[in-house]
Amino acid sequence: MKPQHIPDSDLLLEADGELSAWRAARIRRHLQGCWKCRARKLELEASIADVVHLHNDLAEALPPAEGSRARLRSQLPAGASLALGKLTQAATAVVCLMGAAWAGFYLWPGRPPLLPDSRLTPGVALPVTAEALCASEEAEAPPVDAAVARQVFGRYGIRQPAPRTYEMDYLITPALGGARDSLNLWPQPYASGGWNSRVKDALEDKLRTLVCSGQLDLATAQRELAEDWIGAYRRYFRTEQPLMDHFAFVKDRPWE
Amino acid sequence: MELSPSIPLVELKKAADRAPGLESEVVELFDELRGPLLRYLLSLGLAAQDGEEIVQEVFLALFQHLRKGGGRNNLRGWIFTVAHNQAIKLRQRAAAGPGIMNGGDTLDSEPNPEEQAVRNQHTRRVKAVISALPEQDRACLSLRAEGLRYREIAGVLGISLGAVALSLERSLARISRADGRRQ
Repeated sequence: MKPQHIPDSDLLLEADGELSAWRAARIRRHLQGCWKCRARKLELEASIADVVHLHNDLAEALPPAEGSRARLRSQLPAGASLALGKLTQAATAVVCLMGAAWAGFYLWPGRPPLLPDSRLTPGVALPVTAEALCASEEAEAPPVDAAVARQVFGRYGIRQPAPRTYEMDYLITPALGGARDSLNLWPQPYASGGWNSRVKDALEDKLRTLVCSGQLDLATAQRELAEDWIGAYRRYFRTEQPLMDHFAFVKDRPWE
Repeated sequence: MELSPSIPLVELKKAADRAPGLESEVVELFDELRGPLLRYLLSLGLAAQDGEEIVQEVFLALFQHLRKGGGRNNLRGWIFTVAHNQAIKLRQRAAAGPGIMNGGDTLDSEPNPEEQAVRNQHTRRVKAVISALPEQDRACLSLRAEGLRYREIAGVLGISLGAVALSLERSLARISRADGRRQ
């Protein structure tokens, strides 16, 4: 009687461990006695190896995980985003009743804001005094070199940022003694929900006014920006959400 | 503004209390699966930047899923399913062009020393075959290469177990023929 060969489908299922123990054992017994089927199984394994090699080559093209992980961590708030999501549902009903288009943007922050990661951007300040800073008019923040910007984007796992999407932001603004140091830079979206770069610019302006009028010491202002700028904004403007006027607040130039 | 009575504040607090442990869990899963997920997305033809965006969205969605007490059975399958659906949506929106395994230039742009010429030629042939496969076949191959079992692949792609088996068999036979191992 002519031997019954194993179809390719079963060879593959057996190799992948997808058959019952009984059927797998039957195939293995057949393979012990059948060179033809063993040769076909080797061909199959060679094709699998080809796929795996090509797939592994893809791994070499992947950007490093550190920036991407830091970005994810910064977007995993302990409780905030669920609360915002629930609040949004309630707010949306009000918004519909009001029929005001701006309110949707105001109350619906969408995805959580991209926050500075303290390990990537701890914030760096120069040894200057409030008197020295306030003696002169507030200078425009120095432009960021494109190579430095690319380095910072890379740290945060952002490749090929779309033009005019991010401000390369000084975490501690130079207007409050922040240094021109890449450890003081982070990519802040112009329009990532409510807590965007324009809103932070408004906070920086407020803090400088307070420092220069003697109502706040410089070190505290720098710490407020470096540690939790959103929390600081809420305290200094006494609001849970960014004020509408601040969405259009423009101070710093685009990094490009 | 007064909150709607339908918002369960107690539930919010409970969820928030669970969050710190969940954050570590999600980051651990991210460390384990970010590479495989990104490779899978690239194999579907997405650009690396788009892949990274989807990976971020997937793990944020996972965080919310777990925080709301969502099922924990086969989280790997859940993660790949969400990523797959996001990728399809993105491609439909953007009508994305070909990616790395689909004729992109990332592999070809690497240095091509003479001693690797033969291997490169072989790789290009395999790559061409895979690029020409229907998307579902490519997805099956890629998911299997990432170690997913047939049942998980079927779940991610929304197809039957038999369809997964047939797809893999068909694809491997084509690769084998293209390489001259088979007529």
